[in-house]
This record gives sequence, structure tokens and C-alpha cells, in this order.
Amino acid sequence: MDVSELRKNAKVQLDGHPYVVVEFLFVKPGKGQGLYKCKLKNMITGAVLDRTWRSGERFDPANVESRKMQYLFKDQNGFTFMDNESYEQVALADEIVGDDSAFLLDQIAVDVLFYNDRPVGVTLPSHIVMTITECEPGVKGDTATNATKNATVETGHKIQVPLFIREGDKVKIDTRTGSYVERINT
Amino acid sequence: MAAELGGLAWPARVQIWDAALAAVRGYFREAGLREVSTPVRVPAVAVEPFIEPIAAPPGLLATSPELAMKRLLVRGSGPIFQIAHVFRRAEVGDRHSEEFHLVEWYRLGADLDPLLADVEALVARVFAATGTNGHVPKTWQRARFGDVVTATCGARLRGDEGPDALVAALPPALAAEVVAALVPAAGADPAARTLMAWTAFFTAWSDMFFETWLKGHEGTHLVDFPAPLAALAVTDPERPWLARRAECHVGGLEIANGYVELRDADEQRRRFAAVNELRRAHGSAALPIDDEFLTELPGLPPCAGIALGLDRLITLAACRTRLADVSLALAGG
Repeated sequence: MDVSELRKNAKVQLDGHPYVVVEFLFVKPGKGQGLYKCKLKNMITGAVLDRTWRSGERFDPANVESRKMQYLFKDQNGFTFMDNESYEQVALADEIVGDDSAFLLDQIAVDVLFYNDRPVGVTLPSHIVMTITECEPGVKGDTATNATKNATVETGHKIQVPLFIREGDKVKIDTRTGSYVERINT
Repeated sequence: MAAELGGLAWPARVQIWDAALAAVRGYFREAGLREVSTPVRVPAVAVEPFIEPIAAPPGLLATSPELAMKRLLVRGSGPIFQIAHVFRRAEVGDRHSEEFHLVEWYRLGADLDPLLADVEALVARVFAATGTNGHVPKTWQRARFGDVVTATCGARLRGDEGPDALVAALPPALAAEVVAALVPAAGADPAARTLMAWTAFFTAWSDMFFETWLKGHEGTHLVDFPAPLAALAVTDPERPWLARRAECHVGGLEIANGYVELRDADEQRRRFAAVNELRRAHGSAALPIDDEFLTELPGLPPCAGIALGLDRLITLAACRTRLADVSLALAGG
């Protein structure tokens, strides 16, 4: 594709890896050649690099697509998701899902990223609501310096929550940091 | 930092464009220039290495009103100005838009000085009229192209070096860019190769050195361009290695580009041909040559012309850094 197609969020194939353009700057000195300055993020490893293209050059689009899928179950093949449109089921290996497995609630909707038709990653909603299954009681007289306590949510993920949280409470969690955001009143 | 101010509210955008357009018209009327409006769809555009027209069959959208305004000058228009809508394909960014406004004007007489004085007065007038806090340059300086090159990267250039001599004169980082740009032009004729070398040098030097240098200067007129970058300007009769072209910058942003206009049709045809050869070497399509323009060019009275990017000027007046922050375009921008 012609570099004039480059934009923020464009997917680019470079040195055998898929990248997404995370920063994009077009500069063109008076009557000179246009420069497309990009910061690229490797869509599989997350590594970031800078690359400048000149007008008239070409780039290869990365063969990546994102599909809306639903989490079904985990077994020895890994984590199985179902395509919301085709109902096709795909199993993702543990290492692809990684730490995100802590937030895989039954039937949660996620975006699964495919590169050359192979699943390579999962994008969770940035915030999800989970139920506290286990936590220490917020006893009066606890050391005042520690305003949080340990708790466990339904997937087994452990988080720090404020003292007023009780078992059975629903809490909002930021999946990017894995941390508590707020209590959801029901 | 200005970038964090964000886009102007819609009533403020309408107000600032109204004030700026009225200021531009007021200035030129007082100066005795007549306003013209030439067609947006044209049969051909000025042939430039890196300005891509948008097709509008059976013609092209104008990338500048230059050729049409010169044909009016040939017909005895006298000094004229225009606030033109122009289009350049694939120029999209904070400081670029595929569609923008060029204020273009021509004065009789082969002298750039009155045009540069116009730019200074027009900037002050537009900034004052918009009632914003834009920082008007208190001082304007003239900087000679060769002097700024030497000051920024150490290279001493005269302006008429061929590709090999240019590469030899440059520091390694710039030389490498020029060598890389010459690879696809290996089979091109000497004029096209020289144009390619200087264009590649100018692009890389602007990006690596000149933009940083500009940040320390308020208003700058870059003058005495090397002859290979003359485009539609005459070369200096006493120093033929230099072109009588000027580029005006405010707050690090290029706002205008002016020439003492070339009236030699044969020379203009040779330059357009060299540009088209460079374009082909680069994988771009050659552009149609406007034969009617070239036929009439010897009838052009001695004159100088300049084009100023109005969207950029308004962006500066509003203390913003993105054209989209002041644009009246409702979608994208």
C-alpha cells in the first residue's frame, strides 16, 4: 500500500512482524518530500520502535483482524472462545492469554486478534465487574496505616480492596492494571 | 503548551475566520491589488516533485492558483490577489490538510522585497484583527539559505553543486539521505538527478536541522535558495547558482513561499520536464504540462508572486498548533 494510507492505528507488516501505528506525524518541508514519522508497536510482543517512511514509498499491511468473541471454558487445550457471528470455536494457548486469564468470566465478550488467521492475542474490556468470593473481615482496630486488605474474586484473582468491601460485593476492576476501581451498588 | 489548548469553540472559529478574511481583503484593497477568483478545476497544475493533485475529470483540482493568475497577468490584470481553495493529495497531519486556503498575490516588478513586506504587514494585521493572543513576531530577519546550512550542519554550499559534489560537501547523516534518494534516479538525466539530490538534501536538512534552528527565531525569511530548488523562480542574474525564491516562517511554521517569477518558457519547460523525470524515477505518474501556460509565459510582465497558507496563519493567531483546532470543516479535517 502507498504510505499515504498510513494513519494512527494502521496495521503494518514489518520484518515479518505485525505492528500497529501508535503515533503518527506527517511533516513536509516546503516543496520537499513528505515524511511519515511513525511510532510502531509490535502487536504480539508489545515492543515499540520508530520508523519514518518517505512519500512515494510503499508498506505492507499486516494481515490482522480483530473478531468479537465470547469466552466459553478452559480445558487441557487452553481457553476456548466462540465467534459471535460464525459460532466457530477457537482454543487459545495459555501463553497467549497470559495474565488476562484472571479476568475471564464465563461468557465475557472479548476481542480476539488474528494474525495470518492464527489467534495471537486477547483484548479485554478495559473495565469489568466481578464478585468478591473471599476477603478478610474489615475488623475495627486494624492498623490504620493500611487502608486496603486482600480479597479474592470469582476467577481466583487476588486484589487489594478498601476495608469496607465484604464477601458477595460486586466491584469494578481495571483489567489493564488488575486493580480495584469502585464498589458497584446493587 | 499551545497544543493542549484544544479546538476552538464553533462561534470562536466563525469569528476568527470572518476577522481574518476581512483583514486580508482590507489589506490588499488598501494596497491597490484587485481580487480575482480563478477556477478550482484546472487542466494542469504546476509540475512539482512532491505535490500531488487530486483528479477531477476531465481535469485536476488546483494545487495552487499560480498558473491561472499568471495568465491573468499576461492579459493585463495588473497587481492581483486571491484567497484560493487548493487541494494536495495525501497531505494529512496536524499542519497539513488535503484542502486548504492559499492567499496568493502578485506585484509588478522583479523584486521580492515588497512581497516580504506584505507578509510582515499581513501577519500583524490578521493577528490584530482576530483579537486573539497570537504572538506577532516583533522582528523579522532575512537568512540566506547557504548561511543557515553552514550554521546548522557545517556544510558550505554554493547552490550549483551536482549530485556528487553535493554529497561530498555534506555531513554523513545528510549525505546518506541524498545517496539513498539517488538510487531510483540512477538512469535519469543530469538535470533530474541534480534536482533529486537537492530536494532530498532539503527534505532531510529541514527535518534534522532547520526546524530546530527555526524554533529560536520569531519571523524568518529564508532567501537565496540554491538554483536547483528554483521551481518557478528566476535565477539571480549576477549569481546564477542562486534562485530568487523566499520562504517565510513564523514561530517555526512555514507560512509562505514566493518567487521573482520566471518568464522564460523554454527554461520553464526544461524544469517541468526534469521534475517529471524525477517523478517517474520515483514511481509517481508524470503530470500533464500546461502548454497554453507555457505559450503565454513570455507575455508575463516582470512580476513577483507569493502564496501564504491562511489556515496556518489563523492557527498561529489563535495560539494553536493544529489546523483542525481552528478549521471550519465539519468532518475529519
